[in-house]
Amino acid sequence: MAGTEPSTIGARESRLIGVLMSADVGLLILIVAFFAAFWMFAPGFNSPFNLFGLSRFTAINIVIGLSMMVVIVTGGLDLSVGAMGVTAVMLAGWLMEVGGLPVPFAVAGGVALGAGLGALNGLVIVRTGVHSFIVTLATMSIYFGAMIVVTHAESFRNLPADFSTLAKLRWFGFVSPTLLVAGGAALGLFVLYRFTALGRRMLAAGANPRAAEMSGVPVRRVVTLCHMLGGALAALAGMLLAMRTGAAIPSMAGNLGQDWLLPAFLGPVLGGTALTGGRVSVLGTVLGATLVTVLTSGLLLLQVGEFWVQFFLGALLLGAVLLERARILLLGARRLVA
Amino acid sequence: MKALLRQDWFGLAALAAAAIAAITAIRPDFLSPFNVFVLLGTVSLALVIALGQMVVIAIGQMNLALGAIGGVVAVAFAGMMQVWSIPVPLAVAGGLLIGAACGLATGVLTARAGLSAFVVTLAALSMFKGINLGITKAQPFYGVAAGVKAFGAGSVAGPVPWVLVPAVLVAVAVAVLLARLPLGRQILAVGGNSHAAELSGIGIARATIAAHVISGLLAAVAGMLAVARLAIGQPTIGDDWLIPSFAAPVIGGAALAGGYVSVTGTAFGVLIVALITQALVLFAVDPYYVQLLLGLLILGAVGLNRLREVRRERAA
Repeated sequence: MAGTEPSTIGARESRLIGVLMSADVGLLILIVAFFAAFWMFAPGFNSPFNLFGLSRFTAINIVIGLSMMVVIVTGGLDLSVGAMGVTAVMLAGWLMEVGGLPVPFAVAGGVALGAGLGALNGLVIVRTGVHSFIVTLATMSIYFGAMIVVTHAESFRNLPADFSTLAKLRWFGFVSPTLLVAGGAALGLFVLYRFTALGRRMLAAGANPRAAEMSGVPVRRVVTLCHMLGGALAALAGMLLAMRTGAAIPSMAGNLGQDWLLPAFLGPVLGGTALTGGRVSVLGTVLGATLVTVLTSGLLLLQVGEFWVQFFLGALLLGAVLLERARILLLGARRLVA
Repeated sequence: MKALLRQDWFGLAALAAAAIAAITAIRPDFLSPFNVFVLLGTVSLALVIALGQMVVIAIGQMNLALGAIGGVVAVAFAGMMQVWSIPVPLAVAGGLLIGAACGLATGVLTARAGLSAFVVTLAALSMFKGINLGITKAQPFYGVAAGVKAFGAGSVAGPVPWVLVPAVLVAVAVAVLLARLPLGRQILAVGGNSHAAELSGIGIARATIAAHVISGLLAAVAGMLAVARLAIGQPTIGDDWLIPSFAAPVIGGAALAGGYVSVTGTAFGVLIVALITQALVLFAVDPYYVQLLLGLLILGAVGLNRLREVRRERAA
């Protein structure tokens, strides 16, 4: 009896510490702190123009982060997200400009292509047993190369006006409704992982593929589905980016789509998604992507220079994984003491 | 002859020979001294890049920052010569030092902090590239010493370019290291089975850090070779190294899980990639096909390696 009281206090205390030390709360504090600091010190940060740009950019970064997150769940990764995103956008652009298809159909076509390319990644990975790193490194080159060969690196700049309507709309003067698209995607994934058998199977397959297989999870099909989902989300992110620019441009994600890699990993890693698979935080990814966007925008306004921002984001990724590592060691030590 | 046939790079050598024969049959000028000179120049640079990646593949990791290190060293090398008029040998030493330091940083973070090499080198890629562009403001350094330019454009004899000399030296050094020296054996042992290596008293951290430092050094050599060949310190040097750096070792039969790599195989991998690229140029094919083909080559090669692995497992 005497022993129960301290232990309950200990449990409550450790639960409180757990909440306070969770990535979500830390990220939220950082977002608010940086937002406030930039609001006060970065000239032009609080202008409706900048806040509108910030909200559009946040939406894109969230979806890019989610597209990598759904693959990281399997313990793998996908280097080809940028290449798939651009390829999907180029197809949608072609469907609209040359094919004359209505916007929703063209967007659906692009997203379907993204899903198909993602599924192809997944199929090659599960069929050959080769690590997703090298498979998606190859497909990144293949998808991007094929896209450039087909389009001759030409942009589609005469897209119908309705295509970019969503990205031009402003709510309350500075909120972009594209955030709703990102939020919808995040909510869908949250429901998937929290409430559906398929989501549970994805997490199980990522945590321990062999155990999952033995308990009846069709691991190969589930992993392929994760990659397919990643491809669809990458395509969606590409659509949001193209809506913002109002054109489908082959170089919009850099050579081979490489420019997306850093934001794609920053969101999930900052948000506490385990790179080893099996653990996911949708909210964390959303917050991580938001923090990255706020930091990028603020630092650019502070005239830090685009290139040093790139340096800083790399350092942020490194800091985040180091912190996560330290947190695990610290929690492990506490458990040992208790 | 039998021993030659048993070498696993024999198929690659045959493939390269067949490709050369086929291209020459259609375009006899393919083997003109000038064309061979250009081809060997491309191969030299690509070989050093590929070996830089291969050393890290040997421990079962990857170095995404290889090109970024090469780029930082390239602009630092050219910048030292232009801004401070540092003599060439000192600038070369400085470049090597920077490359080794970059490799040391990624190696220590991977080995000591226990982080995945993928995330560490992805972060490092962004940081090194940021430093490169932050310093140069994306403008090239033009003040490359005349000696360096002559080295990059000159030939030892006939169609043999000077840049082939350091490339061959690097290849021999890496081959000797991995086949003969204790450090090289340890790197391969850690890549093959890190647990077994640790039990037999090999310092995993030390081998991992060494592999990353060597990778950084080779990236530095490649960066400076690129400056010599281009005759300017371009900040974009290294941007397009990622895919080729993996293609050649993988074509050469390297096991991506670590433990097995082949310098000769990688060299033939480099040659095959260069031959294909040259053929596309000669036959006036859309140069964009190179990207597509490189990806397919990687996929085909890993598939083939995997097939061999599965067969070996079944035979055992």
